[in-house]
Amino acid sequence: MVRKEREIKTIYALVLAIFVVFLAVPILRLLLESFVGEAGAGIENYVEVLTGRGFLTALGNSVAVSVCSALLATVLAFFLAYSIQYTNLNKRFKRVIWTLAVLPMLLPTITYGFAIIYSFGRQGLLTRLFGRQLFDIYGFHGLLFGYVIYTLPISFLLILNTMGFIDKKFMVVSRVMGDSPVRTFWQTIIRPLLGTLAASFVQCFFLCFTDYGIPASVGGEYEVVATVLYNEMLGSIPNFNRGAVVAMMMLIPSVLSIALLKYLERYNVRYTRISRIELKKNPARDAVCAAGSSEIIISVLAIFAVIFVVPLVQEWPYQVSFTLEHVRAVLEDSSLSGVYKNSIFVAVCTALAGLLITYGAALATARSGLNGKLKGVIDAIALITNTIPGMVIGIAFMFIFSGTPLQNTFALIILCNVVHFFSTPYLMMRNSLSKLNSSWETTASLMGDTWIKTIVRIVTPNMTSTILEVFSYYFVNAMVTVSAVIFIAGARTMVITTKIKELQYYTKFNEVFVLSLFILGTNLIVKGILGYMIKRKEKKER
Amino acid sequence: MKAGKISMILAAAILAGAFSMTGCGQSAGAAGGEVVIYSNADDEAVEAMKKTLDANGYEGKYLFQTFGTSELGGKVMAEGTDIEADLITLSTFYLDAAQEEQKMFQPLEFDYTLLNSADQKDYCAPITSQEGTIIVNTEVLAENNLDMPACLKDLTKPEYKDLVSVTDIKSSSTAWLLIQALVSGYGEEGAKEALSGIYENAGPHIESSGSAPLKKVRAGEVAIGFGLRQQAVSDKAEGLPIDFVDPTEGNFSLTESVAVVDKGDKTNPLAQEMAECIITQGRSELQKYYPNAVYEGETTDPANSSAYPKVFPEPLTLDLLERHQELSESCK
Repeated sequence: MVRKEREIKTIYALVLAIFVVFLAVPILRLLLESFVGEAGAGIENYVEVLTGRGFLTALGNSVAVSVCSALLATVLAFFLAYSIQYTNLNKRFKRVIWTLAVLPMLLPTITYGFAIIYSFGRQGLLTRLFGRQLFDIYGFHGLLFGYVIYTLPISFLLILNTMGFIDKKFMVVSRVMGDSPVRTFWQTIIRPLLGTLAASFVQCFFLCFTDYGIPASVGGEYEVVATVLYNEMLGSIPNFNRGAVVAMMMLIPSVLSIALLKYLERYNVRYTRISRIELKKNPARDAVCAAGSSEIIISVLAIFAVIFVVPLVQEWPYQVSFTLEHVRAVLEDSSLSGVYKNSIFVAVCTALAGLLITYGAALATARSGLNGKLKGVIDAIALITNTIPGMVIGIAFMFIFSGTPLQNTFALIILCNVVHFFSTPYLMMRNSLSKLNSSWETTASLMGDTWIKTIVRIVTPNMTSTILEVFSYYFVNAMVTVSAVIFIAGARTMVITTKIKELQYYTKFNEVFVLSLFILGTNLIVKGILGYMIKRKEKKER
Repeated sequence: MKAGKISMILAAAILAGAFSMTGCGQSAGAAGGEVVIYSNADDEAVEAMKKTLDANGYEGKYLFQTFGTSELGGKVMAEGTDIEADLITLSTFYLDAAQEEQKMFQPLEFDYTLLNSADQKDYCAPITSQEGTIIVNTEVLAENNLDMPACLKDLTKPEYKDLVSVTDIKSSSTAWLLIQALVSGYGEEGAKEALSGIYENAGPHIESSGSAPLKKVRAGEVAIGFGLRQQAVSDKAEGLPIDFVDPTEGNFSLTESVAVVDKGDKTNPLAQEMAECIITQGRSELQKYYPNAVYEGETTDPANSSAYPKVFPEPLTLDLLERHQELSESCK
């Protein structure tokens, strides 16, 4: 029996309409803009940008520092994941490593830069502890450091996840066959992970390449593409057409890296069965892993320590007595506490709107009899949103919505976030939905229930965990993102991250760190509550 | 049962969210009562303006949004009257350029007389006049056994390597005060030479914000910075290890002014009132931090009078700024 599925078609059309208006049109406009010059249409802007002083250097710099960071982050993440999956270390210790490794995800990247300045700068916390400056923080080293902290959690989660799907029994087999430990390690751990390691490298590269927050604070004279883009669009003598060219150039490596990711997917090894085995006792291995992973985590934490220290003392570094004055000042400053409220509002709305749209889109692709090509369109959208850097979306929005009633509204920021972060939550939804029994809707409609009723009463209750996860993903990302929002936030719609950029201009680091703490605290609470709800739900189901 | 409850709550929340979403788009637009003020002014000036507006019954009726000078300058030039702001305070040369290109400001509805009649205009009125000077951290100087510099050219000396911080003229107008001093003192070629040396010494400490060098001097990151004079004066008075030296090349100055964006019928009537309030009521408060006299009847407090006040021979226009930006870029 074929149901008419009128509802799902409406949902499909709505989702598509949103992406046409808020993704396709803006990006096409941007493309168009890049070809418009003073002397009419042509490739004049491209020639000007590519031959201009600085752009190619910035591109080279971006590639160099992103490659190094991606490599380093992947290696470190592998080490952390290995310590958790392949050692007999204490469970609680593993849990701590796990939690702390993903902590940086809960802070905006723009904060990392300032944390680095206040840790390793001439008067930094760590510089004072060590008695000398460890390395030059402005430029390559600072960027490398910031990018590694930024991408470590993402790489870690990726590798840890795949490691969980590797059958450890093959290690026993390999050993029994008389392989040397190195060979066993290579054959049973690295080989099956190769696809994921490469994917992690590509993903980290993409994130570093398109991030704006870290170069904004510790870039120094080392220009990267993101800073060039910002200056073309919002510099002293802005040139939107050239900015559009830079934005288009930024898209190229992004598209390449995502294409590569797609290609790498086929190298993912799938074991049919995961057997639980006792890991071989090896105190030496465990000790090395414990020491190494502690070292990595402590390094990350040491940098973030300043976020807690600087705003809680009188005047760093000259008057270091404890005070809550700065925190109070922020709370009392209505313009700052207002910004915090705005951020929460935007994050909640983004999470709810994102939930609706990803749910709708996933229902259309996973639980409908729509034409395969139509479903393919939504999958393609997910892929595209994953490819487009936030800065590019922000700039495209600026072109399209200036002078319209949407300019400087929360709605615009929320829609921007929903589109920008669509990919991951959509895939989460689609995967969960397709695992549910596919005959529910048909059965329910035979019993006389409407489709909406079925979705609300049967499908949704089975999706609670995923819904909570999607909510949390959107919420946290909306709290920490800066790259797109920086171009579209207005005076009434400032959020914390754009405010931090503004405070940076006035080098008001106390306020920057206090606001960062607010973001961290809020994200921890939201993630904590949602995590607890998910866990309880899963326990009950078991 | 619990799961059902959770999902019901969620569904309700989603609906509520959907409604508030459509609602918030309107509320941001409909809250047109507040005057949005875009400003590139430093903290002290913004505080002084807020204080004045609050004291005169405008509390809660305005919203300040601050930007970097070139950020706001660029925004004004790019957006014209589409800009969100009703009232703008910005470096005067940017307002001049924007008015010339976009005709975007209303004539001010109040009278005022400037000390320097050449600067008198009908669409904007100065809020502050700011001078540049050399700022030092006496502790860091002593730690490194360094002498006090006497002029800007001294900042090129090799012993100050990595201990100097200046601003980049690409993003901050404070840097222009430095470049004006160098160009008028040594000509364009001489200025290039001196600036190259200064940039060489500043290395990573070429900052984007006008107040950043002072902050770096304060934090001990560098020994010497070029920044706004009145900020150094107040730091020194507060007992921080900060001192300042008026460079023999001269203390140049720039003004920032207030202007009302002409949005036709949609122009917020309070914008004119607030502009008038800031100038007629606020100048005494502003002068506490930006002591230079600008209007007829004002005088500069002697403690805050710089040693070598000077004015650049050419009019300060966007074209001149662009020329000096190119000069600065060639020195990097």
